[in-house]
Amino acid sequence: MLDKVFIDGLSFAAPLFIMAIGAIYSEKSGVTNLAIDGLQGFGAFVGALAAVILAPLMGEGNQAIIYIAMAAAFVGGGLYACVHALLCVKFRANQVISGVVVNILAMSLTTFLTTAMNKALTGGQSSNKFILGISSRFDFPVLCKIPVLGALFRNMYPFEWIILAISVAAWYLMYKTRFGMHLRACGENPQAVDAAGGDVARTRFVAVMLSGALSGVGGMCFAYSISANFSPNIYMGYGYLAIAAMIFGNWNILPTAAVCLFFGLAKSGGYQLCLRMGLPSNYSDLFMMLPYILTLLLLAFFSKKNHPPAAAGEAYDKGKR
Amino acid sequence: MEDYIVEMRHITKRFPGIVANDDVTVQIRRGEVYALLGENGAGKSTLMSMLFGMYEPDRGEIRIRGEKVTFRSSNDASALGIGMVHQHFKLVDNYTVAENIVLGREPMGKMLGFLPCVDMKGANRQIAELSKRFGLEVNPTDRIEDLPVSVRQRVEILKMLYREADILIFDEPTAVLTPQEIDFLLKIIGELRRGGKTIILITHKIEEIKKIADRCAILHRGKLVDVLDVASTSSQVMANMMVGRQVEFSSSKSAPHYRDTVLEVEHLTVRDANKFEVVKDVSFRIRGGEIFAIAGVSGNGQGELADAIAGMLRASGGTIRLNGADITDSSIRQRVEAGVSYIPEDRHGVGVFMDFDLSQNLALRRYYRPPFAKKGILDFDQFDGYAQRLIEEYDIRSGQGGRTSLRSMSGGNQQKAIIAREIEQHASLIIFVQPTRGLDIGAIENIHRQIIAERDKGAAVLLISLELDEIMELADTIGVIYNGQLLKIAEASTMTSHDVGKYMMGVKEA
Amino acid sequence: MKKAIDKLARALDDHRWGSLWVSLLSIFLSLVCASIILLVMGKNPLAAFQSFLQGAGFWPKASYGGGTGMLTDLFSFLNILAPMILASLSFIVGFKAGLFNIGISGQMLASGYLAISIVGYSQLNAVLAKPLVILIGVAAGGLLGVFIGFLKYKFNIHEVVSTIMVNHIINYLTGFFINTYYADPLTRTMKICGSHARLTWTNVQLAGVKCNVPLGLALALLAAFAVKFIFDKTVFGFELRAVGQNPTCARYTGIRVGSRIMASMMLSGMLAGLAGVTYYCGCYNTIVPKVLPDLGYDAIAVALLGNSSPIGAIFAAILISIFQTGSNYMSSSMGVAKEIASLITGILLLFSACGGFFRLMARRRLDRAADEAAPPASESGKEGAPHAG
Repeated sequence: MLDKVFIDGLSFAAPLFIMAIGAIYSEKSGVTNLAIDGLQGFGAFVGALAAVILAPLMGEGNQAIIYIAMAAAFVGGGLYACVHALLCVKFRANQVISGVVVNILAMSLTTFLTTAMNKALTGGQSSNKFILGISSRFDFPVLCKIPVLGALFRNMYPFEWIILAISVAAWYLMYKTRFGMHLRACGENPQAVDAAGGDVARTRFVAVMLSGALSGVGGMCFAYSISANFSPNIYMGYGYLAIAAMIFGNWNILPTAAVCLFFGLAKSGGYQLCLRMGLPSNYSDLFMMLPYILTLLLLAFFSKKNHPPAAAGEAYDKGKR
Repeated sequence: MEDYIVEMRHITKRFPGIVANDDVTVQIRRGEVYALLGENGAGKSTLMSMLFGMYEPDRGEIRIRGEKVTFRSSNDASALGIGMVHQHFKLVDNYTVAENIVLGREPMGKMLGFLPCVDMKGANRQIAELSKRFGLEVNPTDRIEDLPVSVRQRVEILKMLYREADILIFDEPTAVLTPQEIDFLLKIIGELRRGGKTIILITHKIEEIKKIADRCAILHRGKLVDVLDVASTSSQVMANMMVGRQVEFSSSKSAPHYRDTVLEVEHLTVRDANKFEVVKDVSFRIRGGEIFAIAGVSGNGQGELADAIAGMLRASGGTIRLNGADITDSSIRQRVEAGVSYIPEDRHGVGVFMDFDLSQNLALRRYYRPPFAKKGILDFDQFDGYAQRLIEEYDIRSGQGGRTSLRSMSGGNQQKAIIAREIEQHASLIIFVQPTRGLDIGAIENIHRQIIAERDKGAAVLLISLELDEIMELADTIGVIYNGQLLKIAEASTMTSHDVGKYMMGVKEA
Repeated sequence: MKKAIDKLARALDDHRWGSLWVSLLSIFLSLVCASIILLVMGKNPLAAFQSFLQGAGFWPKASYGGGTGMLTDLFSFLNILAPMILASLSFIVGFKAGLFNIGISGQMLASGYLAISIVGYSQLNAVLAKPLVILIGVAAGGLLGVFIGFLKYKFNIHEVVSTIMVNHIINYLTGFFINTYYADPLTRTMKICGSHARLTWTNVQLAGVKCNVPLGLALALLAAFAVKFIFDKTVFGFELRAVGQNPTCARYTGIRVGSRIMASMMLSGMLAGLAGVTYYCGCYNTIVPKVLPDLGYDAIAVALLGNSSPIGAIFAAILISIFQTGSNYMSSSMGVAKEIASLITGILLLFSACGGFFRLMARRRLDRAADEAAPPASESGKEGAPHAG
């Protein structure tokens, strides 16, 4: 049973983590991003669309489709994030409003497009779901033999490893490169970057696009791991959980990873407990509330102590001194 | 043909509604200290921002070393060896000194032998060398947020030197320094000139120009008045040209008539949002008819002290008494009604609602009471009438009277509105924090007169300013704050500005 | 062309009517976008818009079922309109005080659920039941609102995050209770609310056709004018606007910011609760478990499109309700997925969010024009002009 908790916990934590990294990228550059939920949904939509189109061509059950779908979700999320970037960076709209708008638009746009596309692809069948193949799982050699914790490395989705690789790359880009240094400075004092010859608008634009791309990958993983299909149910507020994880993690990548893991284990642990106690299936709804309640509780304890990037939430005005 | 390193010819720059520079021509020789003198708003900073590539001129041309240039960004300017220390430092607070200096021109290395990455170790070494070479002492790995203003300024200077700039622009570099720090800075500037650098100094302080500059261009309301040889011109002439009329150097302050004690602060301790003690065990009293001025370098707790007395911050220890009554735990509104007026430092962030109209902003201290409101319902006719009276009495210029949005008013008039609102409270204690920051000289004189008038009417005045000149001019009593503690309280007449400066830097015995 | 743009810029920049022109421009652009989408799908946009109007009862359909008519459709439109107005007022009240109540859906669901489960199955007579339903709606919404305000004030939790969390908690919690105790075995939705407790008179004969008359609409219009009065004329409204514009300055003024934040969230929650009961015990008579009402999000579009003014919201609500109620008929007559109604709402929302940008562009254009027309620089630096630093 503990094995199951670890396996499921990790498969929930990993997508959450990559979305949280997305949120960190945007906020560290100085753009408040409450649009993660919409970005992950849109990314997942594009990825699922690619998978649905390719499945008949490449053969059902071909695992390569999963990787292509994730790449498509990366691109799709990044492109859709341009809406948020455009509104916040170029049009200087209120960043909170923009985030909410981008979420609602993503929901209505993907629902409409899924229905319309299904009609076109399947010839008249109207459904708001894209059915995806089931992702295979594998055991990580050697490490899976470790007692207890070895479960973390057993029965894994391939995306968990992709996410680990991407998160290491994201850490490197953020803390070790010139781009990352400028990005973090943009979120603290954009005037300094401007005076040093950096381009604040472009840096922020790219950061928001990266944020969308990473969220898109996260959304695609949710689509594969939780329901094996894409439907409007993808908008479960997980994007906001990622934002909460970012806040507890104090806008830093490593602590955020720990928080996501905690969320994941709490969710799967609660669910397993429900099964163990032999409760009827509708009781699982009560356990589904767990991550949200946990988020509120944690926020209540941690929100006051944290330091968001100083310039987040404000459009940069070159003329202002 | 003379060898000019910088030439700006017939420069005109318009912003919506104003002409910031109007056909200005300046020509600067290699290796000289060239001063730009003018009041706030005369167009000095705008002119230099164009030389640094932050704006493009609408008309006119810029030549550097004889070549005509067009700057699209500050990158273009720094590529030609132009550097600038801005009035508001452009530093990232949570970055180290070295990170700030190399930002935008980072030395690159390899991580794990193949991944390109910023070489911070190399940067630290380089900055340490640079700081030793120019006698500008900094520790490359200190975080900016932990450093005092004067060190931050050194970081800004090093930023220019790291980029190997040889045309250095200083925008009001002495505004927030103590006299001793100013001497040090002027010495550095002198050394830089000896090292072959060309220096442009923007300032409104004539004595600094007399000390260090070779030539001086005077700007007034966006136009060039004259270019003078500093050695052969008197201070009085420069001052008159700068203001555009005769100025009096002495203020017309009479001797104070002290009355009963109004404010009594005992062992006051205040913590900031991070639980850090920013005001430590401060005690003082102010009598009616007295201007008590607090001098200190920016960030030594003076802002928090004012906030604590006004009720914006909670005192974590000690007592505050107003006219004998304990107000330590009173709410902000209770304090206002008990007789505390407060002109805050941050006009736009704290003092006014930018999108409310003038009449509402003028009534902020009384909107909830009759006749402005009866049984919770507002009477806007009363707002209009009250605004009309204050607009006339305090000469507030606004386009559409009381219905003008604050956003569309000039900074000077916004400040006039705040001061009018607070003075109309007829409070027994008036707190002024940086009341003249960013205003032109006419407005400054006017505000100084108002402060003295309120004192003479019997109010206790607490004045907090970073400008030592202002404190020396107005104070009856001076308290010097350093690192949250009042190091010295003395009659203003017993101290010189150099004495005050020493205490401002934390020296206990002058 | 250039003249037309100049004229538009001047209209957008107008001090008094500018925001109306911004809304109209947003609507126009959204309709253009919708038309393009319809054209791409090979449909006639004009016919589509006409069928929206037909579905909402503004335009006669070709044929009607027995006992129904245009008036029937119009009244079902009014049934949606009432919660739409109330929900958008809920958003506006929070928004004016600087708060984003994204939790309207959850607040609606909670109050609707409580009203049906407490009053909907009771034996009370209508005179007692209807006010009780309203009371429960207001109380449940208000409590949830205060809770959000408290989290914001006491723990500094951003209300967008906390309201979304609360939305999902309510969603699962009501879903659990409905499934466990109140589920109709046939439809799998909540058992039907008795007509004594509904805020709509069903099957009223008007002009020979059956209509459902919404009581909630009167409530909504009353609420709109009450909200307008509060913000325009009262000390309380003035303080809420002050907190919304600049909390630091509001504190400096002596306003107790925390209590005002909680008060505004309470008022916002109360209006959302009203929207909830007019929606679930008026417009409808049941709850589908584990579905948050889209109307709670559409209300945000309404509020922004109406420039967050209560009266503007009434008109914006009419427009968006036409799309929402007309979508079924449009879908069946045109063969376009009815989700396009939500898409149009989303696009409207997008353009409304750009409103500030439209005005900025207009301002810049006018400034440039003024500069070009200005006399040579040396003559215009006149006395009294504001100075640049």
